[in-house]
Amino acid sequence: MSTFALKLIAPTRVLFDGQASLVIAATTEGEEGILAGHAPFVGALKPGVLRAEVSDEMGSRRLELATDEGFIQALPDRVTVLLERALSLEEIDLEATRAELAAATEPAAIAFAEAKLRLARSA
Amino acid sequence: MASVKDLRDQIRSLKNTQQITKAMKQVAAAKIRRAETAQKQARPYADTLGEMLRELVAAVSRVDHPFMNPGKTSAPSGMILMTADKGLCGAFNANVIRQGEAFLREHPGAVMYSVGVKARQAVRRFGGGDHPSWPLNAASKLEAAREVARTASAAFVEGKISEIVLVSSKMLSMLVQRPQTLRLVPIARDGMADATVNQGPKAMVEFAPTPEAVLSQLLPKYLEFTIFSAMLETDAAFFAAQLVAMNNATDNAGKLIDEYTIQMNNARQAAITKELLEIVGGAEALNG
Repeated sequence: MSTFALKLIAPTRVLFDGQASLVIAATTEGEEGILAGHAPFVGALKPGVLRAEVSDEMGSRRLELATDEGFIQALPDRVTVLLERALSLEEIDLEATRAELAAATEPAAIAFAEAKLRLARSA
Repeated sequence: MASVKDLRDQIRSLKNTQQITKAMKQVAAAKIRRAETAQKQARPYADTLGEMLRELVAAVSRVDHPFMNPGKTSAPSGMILMTADKGLCGAFNANVIRQGEAFLREHPGAVMYSVGVKARQAVRRFGGGDHPSWPLNAASKLEAAREVARTASAAFVEGKISEIVLVSSKMLSMLVQRPQTLRLVPIARDGMADATVNQGPKAMVEFAPTPEAVLSQLLPKYLEFTIFSAMLETDAAFFAAQLVAMNNATDNAGKLIDEYTIQMNNARQAAITKELLEIVGGAEALNG
């Protein structure tokens, strides 16, 4: 399967920099799956779950992150995703997230908490 | 002339001071490295965000986002004054504050926001009273930057201020920090459009849902992130300034110690000479 360069970038760190064969991200228009050779595309992300089939020096694996708002830029040979906040399954504290969801009032905060729970459930 | 005991006490106290300034210098050196790493880690995000913004601006013909439109002319300016939380860094904070003061003179009645404890004190002095204020060393700088951006942009969108201007420090090198005044909002479109002129075929980008919609989501993030980067830069510049200030202080203390030591030796020698003269004089008198 052909691959492309994938970069997942958060404001304070680069989350992933390597090759990927597939990225599925929740854009404001719905889930968008991106393969190698995708037409140039820029979209806004809403809080959701980002999935990617990636391979780097740590080997081939599936990457799953609960993400806050962000942006995605796809070119035929590379995809860059900017993520405000992103957490992997191991980083999610279920209890804290439930409390966060109960306390959250802003739609964006609620959506991010829900995304974290969705990722935890799907695992 | 001061007595030998006085001088010895002076020297001891100077040596203590020198030890403290030397320790602070070393701490500052270690913290610069950390601050610079934080800056470096933020760069990929900043670069990508800027690139996306330029692409978007090139792709849209007209944007209805308030950030791209001139503000209400009758409203006063909004100024974010950004300094460090602490002093002991030479004229670092004072330079930024002076720049802020100059801006206020040109824009009387400007609404003030402050980031950093020193900036808060300065704004109070300018007559800002209780104003929205954040420390530079927040638990999460990103979260703080977000709040600053939200507060200021809400005031802008409501027409309470006509522009958002940031007065902060630019780190030109480890030795030189310079205050700068930067207009964040409204965003100047001309500069950005120019940068994209020769990109040609790149303009064939598909936007979801529309360039306008993505742009209006991106602009607030861009503002947040610009403030965040400025906070990181101020942090790094502060430690660089502190390093220089503490280095100078250590050198100066060393010079004073040398000077006082010579004075002390002179005084001691003078006392010994005097004593000898007295003994010799006494002996001469006895021999008569």
